[in-house]
Amino acid sequence: MDLREEKIGEVSVVGVTGRIDSSTAPALEKRLTENLGAAQVRVVLDLSRLEYISSAGFRILLLAAKRADETGSRFVLCGVGGKVRQLFDLGGFLDLFTIVGAREDGIAAAQ
Amino acid sequence: MVEIAIVNRGSEFARVVALLDQFGKDHHLAPEIIADMHVALDEVLTNITKYAYTDNAEHEIHIRFRVLDNVLEAVIEDDGMPFNPLTIPPPDISSPLRDRSVGGVGIYFVARLMDDVAYERRGDTNYLILSKKTND
Repeated sequence: MDLREEKIGEVSVVGVTGRIDSSTAPALEKRLTENLGAAQVRVVLDLSRLEYISSAGFRILLLAAKRADETGSRFVLCGVGGKVRQLFDLGGFLDLFTIVGAREDGIAAAQ
Repeated sequence: MVEIAIVNRGSEFARVVALLDQFGKDHHLAPEIIADMHVALDEVLTNITKYAYTDNAEHEIHIRFRVLDNVLEAVIEDDGMPFNPLTIPPPDISSPLRDRSVGGVGIYFVARLMDDVAYERRGDTNYLILSKKTND
């Protein structure tokens, strides 16, 4: 897994490439904990280059979404397609997150 | 058939991931099939290393992959406490974010992603067999 972060105005866009599993989830957790450390922040997670995600990864995403809820922050997912969308659907996760299509939509939704 | 032995530590999983990638390439299996097997294996190996052992000793876990009659099969053997994942009830996947547990979907993923899951306890060993059709 590779994480690439870009700041667009007030919005932090974190792009994930590769796989999120029990081996790589801790690095994502560390990054999102840093990003969502303050209140009222705006974070977009771009999953368009994600190959798959296991429950270890969903745990991190759920913790991040709960954290954002509690701190008045925005946590938006974009690029959720193919196999990854299927896994979101399987776990009943699609309704739990703000999910938009493209990266630009994510940035707009987070603002 | 390929086989690998790892010890019960998360840092060992990367070797299984690499082996499955190579096995998938060698057998020309679709990336979606391999992805499903990767997720299922991550769930199973995580469960074993987290919950199967009551001591702090190192234990070997054996994993074998083979393709037979258009089915990709993974056999996972561990000498932890008896645990049949087929007996675990499905998680609640309908509650809103606030009430949703952040865990508990691992075994459910395994059951849903695989076409068949079989469990056997033989002596001191758990055998879990994950099967995924390669032609759908």
